[in-house]
Amino acid sequence: MGKITGFLDYKRQDFKIQGVTQRISHYHEFAVPIGETDIAIQAARCMDCGIPFCQSTFGCPLWNLIPEWNDLAYRGQWREAYERLEITNNFPEFTGRLCPAPCESACTLSINDAPVTIKQIELAIIEKAFQEGWVVPYPPQKSTGKSVAVIGSGPAGLAAAQQLRRLGHQVTVFEKSPKIGGLLRYGIPDFKLEKRVIDRRLEQLISEGIVFKTEVMIGEDISAHYLKKSFDSILIATGAGHPRDLQIPGRNLKGIYFAQEFLTNSNLFVDGMIDGNQLISCQDKTVLVIGGGDTGSDCVGTANRQGARRVFQFEILPKPEEWKYKWNPYWPNRPDILRTSTSHQEGCEREWSVMTKSFSGRHGKIEKASFSRVRWDRSGKSLQPDMQEIPDSDFELNIDMVLLATGFVHLVHNRLIKDLRLQFDDKKNLRVDEHFMTSVPGVFAAGDAAKGPSLIVKAIYAGREAAKSIHNYLMC
Amino acid sequence: MNKPGLYEPSFEHDACGIGFVVNINGQKSHQIIEEGIQILCNLEHRGAIGSDHKTGDGAGMMVQIPHSFFTKKVEFTLPPAGQYGVGFFFLPGDDSTSYEARKLVQSVIVREGGAFLGWREVPNNPESLGQIARDSRPSLWQAFLKFPLLKNRALERKLYILRRCLEKEAIARGWGMDDFYIPSLSSRIIIYKGMFVSTQFISFYPDMKDTDFISALALVHQRYSTNTFPSWPLAQPFRYLAHNGEINTLRGNINKMVARDPKLTSSVFGNEISKVIPVINPEASDSSIMDTVLELLHMGGRSLEHSLMMMVPEPFGPKYHMSEDKRAFYEYHSAIMDPWDGPAALLFSDGIKIGGSLDRNGLRPARYVITKSGKVIMASEVGVLDIDPQDIREKGRLAPGKMLIVDTGLKRIIRDNEIKAKITRWKPYRRWLEDNRIELKGLFQVPGPVEYDPNTLLTRLKAFGYSLEDLKLIITPMVRNSQEPIGSMGNDAALAVLSEKPQLLYNYFRQLFAQVTNPPIDPYRENLVMSLMSFVGRQHNLLDEKPVHCRQLKLYYPILTNDDIKRLKSAKLKGFKVGSVPMLFKTEEGRGSLTSGLEQLCLAVEKKVDEGYSMVILSDRGITREWAAIPALLATSTVHHHLVDRGKRHLTALVIESGEVREVHHFALLLSYGASGINPYLVFESLFELRNRGYLDRHLSLPSAQMHYINAINRGLLKVMSKMGISTLRSYRQAQTYEAIGLSASFIEKYFPGTTSRIGGVGIDVFEEEVLHRHFAAFNNEPYHLKRLDSGGFYAYRQKSLKHLFTPEAITLLQQAVRDNNYLLFKKYTAEINNVNENLCTLRGLLKFKKGNPVPIEEVEAEGHIIQRLVTSAMSFGSISKEAHETLAIAMNRLGCKSNSGEGGEDEERYQLLANGDSAKSKIKQIASARFGVTSNYIVNSEELQIKMAQGAKPGEGGQLPGFKVNEIIAKVRNATPGVMLISPPPHHDIYSIEDLSQLIYDLKNVNPEARISVKLVSEVGVGTVAAGVAKAKADMVLISGSDGGTGAAPLSSIKHAGSSWEIGLAETQQVLVMNKLRGHIRIQVDGQIKTGRDVVIGALLGAEEFGFGTSALVVLGCVMMRKCHLNTCPVGIATQNPQLRSRFRGKPDYVVNFMRFIAREVREIMAELGFRSFNEMVGRVDRLEVNRAVQHYKTRGIDFSGILYQPDKQENLPRYCTETPSPDLTNDLDLRLIKDAASSLEKQKKTSIRMTIKNFNRSVGARLSGEVSKRYGSAGLPADTIKVKFEGSAGQSFGAFLAPGITFEVEGDANDYFGKGLSGGKLIIYPPDRSTFLPHKNIITGNVNLFGATGGEAFIHGMAGERFCVRNSGAIAVVEGVGDHGCEYMTDGRVIVLGKTGINFAAGMSGGIAYVLDEDLLFDTRCNLEMVDIEPLSEKEDIDFLFAYIKKHVDFTGSSYAQRIVDKWEDMLPYFVKIMPVEYRRALERIQQQESKESEWVGMTEEIYT
Repeated sequence: MGKITGFLDYKRQDFKIQGVTQRISHYHEFAVPIGETDIAIQAARCMDCGIPFCQSTFGCPLWNLIPEWNDLAYRGQWREAYERLEITNNFPEFTGRLCPAPCESACTLSINDAPVTIKQIELAIIEKAFQEGWVVPYPPQKSTGKSVAVIGSGPAGLAAAQQLRRLGHQVTVFEKSPKIGGLLRYGIPDFKLEKRVIDRRLEQLISEGIVFKTEVMIGEDISAHYLKKSFDSILIATGAGHPRDLQIPGRNLKGIYFAQEFLTNSNLFVDGMIDGNQLISCQDKTVLVIGGGDTGSDCVGTANRQGARRVFQFEILPKPEEWKYKWNPYWPNRPDILRTSTSHQEGCEREWSVMTKSFSGRHGKIEKASFSRVRWDRSGKSLQPDMQEIPDSDFELNIDMVLLATGFVHLVHNRLIKDLRLQFDDKKNLRVDEHFMTSVPGVFAAGDAAKGPSLIVKAIYAGREAAKSIHNYLMC
Repeated sequence: MNKPGLYEPSFEHDACGIGFVVNINGQKSHQIIEEGIQILCNLEHRGAIGSDHKTGDGAGMMVQIPHSFFTKKVEFTLPPAGQYGVGFFFLPGDDSTSYEARKLVQSVIVREGGAFLGWREVPNNPESLGQIARDSRPSLWQAFLKFPLLKNRALERKLYILRRCLEKEAIARGWGMDDFYIPSLSSRIIIYKGMFVSTQFISFYPDMKDTDFISALALVHQRYSTNTFPSWPLAQPFRYLAHNGEINTLRGNINKMVARDPKLTSSVFGNEISKVIPVINPEASDSSIMDTVLELLHMGGRSLEHSLMMMVPEPFGPKYHMSEDKRAFYEYHSAIMDPWDGPAALLFSDGIKIGGSLDRNGLRPARYVITKSGKVIMASEVGVLDIDPQDIREKGRLAPGKMLIVDTGLKRIIRDNEIKAKITRWKPYRRWLEDNRIELKGLFQVPGPVEYDPNTLLTRLKAFGYSLEDLKLIITPMVRNSQEPIGSMGNDAALAVLSEKPQLLYNYFRQLFAQVTNPPIDPYRENLVMSLMSFVGRQHNLLDEKPVHCRQLKLYYPILTNDDIKRLKSAKLKGFKVGSVPMLFKTEEGRGSLTSGLEQLCLAVEKKVDEGYSMVILSDRGITREWAAIPALLATSTVHHHLVDRGKRHLTALVIESGEVREVHHFALLLSYGASGINPYLVFESLFELRNRGYLDRHLSLPSAQMHYINAINRGLLKVMSKMGISTLRSYRQAQTYEAIGLSASFIEKYFPGTTSRIGGVGIDVFEEEVLHRHFAAFNNEPYHLKRLDSGGFYAYRQKSLKHLFTPEAITLLQQAVRDNNYLLFKKYTAEINNVNENLCTLRGLLKFKKGNPVPIEEVEAEGHIIQRLVTSAMSFGSISKEAHETLAIAMNRLGCKSNSGEGGEDEERYQLLANGDSAKSKIKQIASARFGVTSNYIVNSEELQIKMAQGAKPGEGGQLPGFKVNEIIAKVRNATPGVMLISPPPHHDIYSIEDLSQLIYDLKNVNPEARISVKLVSEVGVGTVAAGVAKAKADMVLISGSDGGTGAAPLSSIKHAGSSWEIGLAETQQVLVMNKLRGHIRIQVDGQIKTGRDVVIGALLGAEEFGFGTSALVVLGCVMMRKCHLNTCPVGIATQNPQLRSRFRGKPDYVVNFMRFIAREVREIMAELGFRSFNEMVGRVDRLEVNRAVQHYKTRGIDFSGILYQPDKQENLPRYCTETPSPDLTNDLDLRLIKDAASSLEKQKKTSIRMTIKNFNRSVGARLSGEVSKRYGSAGLPADTIKVKFEGSAGQSFGAFLAPGITFEVEGDANDYFGKGLSGGKLIIYPPDRSTFLPHKNIITGNVNLFGATGGEAFIHGMAGERFCVRNSGAIAVVEGVGDHGCEYMTDGRVIVLGKTGINFAAGMSGGIAYVLDEDLLFDTRCNLEMVDIEPLSEKEDIDFLFAYIKKHVDFTGSSYAQRIVDKWEDMLPYFVKIMPVEYRRALERIQQQESKESEWVGMTEEIYT
């Protein structure tokens, strides 16, 4: 029930973070932990709504029981709060750090006030749980004798693996990289998610009896057919790793990287897996990040930590509306407003409605990029606004490095997919039915591999739901 | 009677006027007959007539046998008077059957040893009757017979046995009551009755005119029935009594009688007892059944008054100061018979004694006059006979629970004390009780330690279907606050039968509640009349009384702690064996295991009974993986009915020890279906867990926590009982006051016989499946599953749990659609709501439209017309903010539609137009039980007056606006003080039955003849019959509210479990009105979670013409269903008075305008599709609806819509919608003359003085005149005393109702009920006639419920007033010389001066105003309810001056010599005066004073009452 007048009595207080100069000197997480009392006060702001929008299709895709654990956090019942959190979410420590928190923009308080700091409370609960040793393995009591191969160890694969294991199945997770975690480990910079957080969770998964096989590329190292024969069911959770390219003149110059390549490289470096020579370094360089999304923002943060001289981030879409109030004008929908991430605060020049037209350079290496400005027109008949170049708006910049953060299009169509002859949907992701089954019986797919790039919470949810379907498939 | 459609004959109600006149000395005369008829005629307005405007609901008269008249009229010789019997027979109309019946009668007389003397066909005059009555008229015969050796009581008893033989013979021949009925068969009395109104009585029975037709007594009854289906036998009086009221606990009373029938023995009847039983004809009316049982008790050897004291006992709770012997008498008898509970004025006679008795609440009027010339007249009203004032010795009224008898044998009046002194000492009841009553030592002491197994607790909680909500929202608040949890915004969750989630059996039952035909009770302010005490154990022969009868266990309340159960199980008591039987079934026996488990249970219990156990504990302790619990309610009801069938039910008490029971609704249901005591052991165990998990305060000890929980349940039980108007648990037990929704007919018949279930539904297989589903889920070994309870989702929305109509998606779409005026989005919203595949919550979800021939949309009635049928539902200013309330009104006024004020009054400023031309005036003004701000001016400023009988969220309950919500502006419109809590009583204190409602409608029509009058009812079984009564009361519209609606705060159990869906109630209403040919006279509106155009069209096809929107209108204004209205923390500024939150309100009138237009547009589109060009064409066309088979799931398969889709008008072309509404009969209206005579005052404010005589049938005098004044001069009215009228005689009901400022009424004579109702500033003066000699301050001069809801003005009463004086007074100043019980109840302002005695429970719920009482015997504080007031001496000069001035005025106006004495000896009398001051009021006054000095605004407090 929270405190009945909590939302009137207390103001929202979000994560406290280190100052810019301090935090860009390292790759660690920089949020300053908040004391339990302060978290309880924040939780007291929850109104325990008759209809909790945080828990709707506008809010948490995991259907987290937010009002329930808010109340428990407010009353200092951390153990029970953790128990309620754990019902829906396998990995609150990931979502509590990385989730864009649609729950908060859907929070009923944000109709006319600042929403409850749901994400912060979630994180506090799970960190408390780890600290108190409440996060213990739940190995199954009975074995079903069925085996499942999970391909890919990102959030969807891990969630599915845990759910399946707890239902008594023998679960093996295959990962092509040296360590488990997928995008969590290689896509997300450490300053957003320290890798020890993943390792901590892996301990539980391993204790529950999940077998992890790293540096195995299914389809190459192990044939798809062999896998299919060896396991009763297969779950493909390989993510949507095929990046969107920018085919413009000068694209093949050196110094132009896909964001993912850059970020993975940086993470390997931070993890000590590669040394300085192998690092794609931004040090003393003028870096252009193309693409205004979260990946772009991660590139900005990483570039600054590597000591970039100057960082630009250009987006072709128009600049979103600026909104200075604490409430959400588009409640309960996620507002299309200008967001400034902590990475942006660390130093970068952002521009919108800018189209990159070409790259040029000498010795096969990029030195310049040319742009023009565009105008977006919403008056046209089609739902998508029309884009028009503004005449005589061309300009050029000297650039040493370009990071393409223009998004992903679909999963990588590797041998596994080809050998199993899986069918695609119109976006070239795997076609699955309502039970997450692909066109091949017994082969399931979940997460970005099936639905295209999306949020981590959706991946966890898909993993859990796919596990249910696989269980039903195996047990019937 | 057959049951077409949804009409249930057993829910017919009646009410009436009753009266008797008697010569105390037994002198027989024809004058008594004439006077009886006179009384009957003067009570005509309390009866009703049917749709043919002529057929009355029934009238009749009981008299002594007129021996000389019969001697003259029959051809055979009669034995001497008193030595023969006369039977009155209603026989079939056709000659041959009639002849056959007479032959039968003769043969049975002979068989029984009697001698048949002859027949007399009773002359009658059918021309005087209405068509309906004439068509159903029986042939009327009188039989004369004798039993040579018998006379007096023995003869009466034999005649009784003979009548029972005849009745049984008739039944054996398949003759129903309408074919063969014996109004009376006696050697002392004879009853003439029939289906007519009183005035037709004398012309129908010419016997009455014969001067030889003489009697010393005449007892009369005029009936007002909700239905007019022809039934001559149901006219009253019955053989021993005439009844004005209702028996609310009938089902239980019947069952308890039926169960003991076979075991009855009697020394007086001997073997002949078998001829008498079964005593009850279950088809008869409640009054008739009560009469039958009274007759049995009386014939079995007890005196009439003794029998009545058993059936309708006085309250004898600890708060009553009463004789120990009397208390013991009642307590002893409560072990023998449970009360027949309900409002009841009973007049009774055995031909020698005649008397009257009143129920414990005194909810019906019974006034009497004793004359010096030796007569007693008692009737529902005073003034029914003209009596010379000089002849009057005494005027009085029956007080609650009291009796008065005239014994013509002894030739004297026997008063209550004498009657009861004698009867209560008839046997040594007190001694018997002391020696035999069992009060288990330790029972109900502080609970001992609870044994608790934490390792299995969660498993067991899950097995019994507990959710987190149960622990958090239900049990925790009960333990914390000792009261039931509160919620708001109605119920939009799926019906149990439509829910795909397993549901407990309890959720299929809906509580019944009282509306119109009997009043609910206030369980808090009037709890002294209520009782949870009961005796449980083996009951003994009803017709006998011995010490062993009370060898039973006395329970102070029915909840047993785990400790209590342990004690009971181990108790060793002589003559009281306690046994225990497991309430479990084997899980692994496959299908049908629950059924066989139940069978075994029944046999096991029966065996215990046969072995002599007085108490059997049914226990589900010990569930294991292999053994699952039988649902406790199913077990209880099955065992109960099994024992009833075997005639063994009274031999044992059933105690339920169950882990399943947790909320009030569960306890109430179990008690209602047969349990005597309940132990919710799992709740007590879970208290440990709740405390460990921090839900409960660590300092709260577990014993205290248990006591808090028990208190909360007890309070809840009182509330559930009281909403049905039931006062004692003893009568509530087994009364089955529930309606089932979604249970199959065969299931009901087998396990819950006697319960109404009208749409079929699931059966035992589903429950077996659901129990096992829960059971196995709980016993699943996975620790992962084990450790968590489900979220629930029953009270708050949870995405993955139970379905709700309003989803986040629907709310968002709706708000966007109305904000952007986007019809496409609106269609998306309605698609979301109507998406039955995903979201099947309501019955209408299962219906679909039959295809029609579409018409072009241009040909369909315009959107602007359709929109006129839409209104916003009543939401009071107070429950919602000023901003929200006015926005709704402005929007509806822009559309030319109507908004509803709700019950909170309305600020007069809103009657003026706003600067931009908008109007914020609510066209519909509500008249609710508290009458906040209901003044003459309020009434004239409305287009519709809506009498709220019940509301969807909490039908049958009152409410309270906590002090922190009462800010200055709310206080102003409600005539209250800021910061002081305001209470709405459960009943309207001027509506205790249907004829009272008719009276209020008449009052309102008088004040504002242009306004239409509507009556708001809530759907439940029988609502159709009530609606028929409402139609006969000449209301213009009846509103059927679904139980799911409601925007205000209410106890969660009421929101969820009281009342039924509007689909059923509406269909029933339509059917009953059409069948009664009343539909054409009244419009029907429906509301309750109506959200889309589809809902509207379904409502129309089921019979509604108009539609109300509550919740959805609020959502349109920004409500997001927080369900926090009761906490004042609405974050969108709608349901709050907190200025900070109110400033967050963002709603606009345009949104509501858009919404209503969208709804109308969608309706129009559907109409085009269905081929309806006009709306009226569509009303009542149920043939255009069919069941949508596509959306059924495993639980909905058994649902049967044939009752709902039944069409009563197939053969005849009866109107299906309203064509014209009747106007009131103004024949006896004095106001037309007053308005004419006072024309110069009305036009030019000149002073007028008028004199006229007045009779009891001149009702609502002054109401219309006041309306005229208010229309012209607003609330200020005329200058004082502009119009002065002096009346002489007996004023009818509602004298001076809503009297406006400037009018002064003076009565020389007396007055009836509702004197000064809603007094709005006028002045009333009443005193006895000059020539009378009785002492006014010791005699009743005006009736009950005087000055109810008065808002201003003055009243001076020289004499005593009846019960409930100045209830809900909020501004009037009154001086009176004595009052009955419950004086000044719920008062919020004004001053009352009582110069004499008061009854009990004075000042209950009084939160404002001041009373002054002259307390000469220093006992006033024992009669005052001190919960909210302090009694203090008068010391302030201001008070003393005020008091003196008003007593002086009283003397001047009334000439009271009694008051003169006080004035004369002022210094000596003053110390005896006490001042009654509400505590909260004093604080508020102090606060106001302080604030005035600070000149700051009143600031809303954020006090938390329910946290």
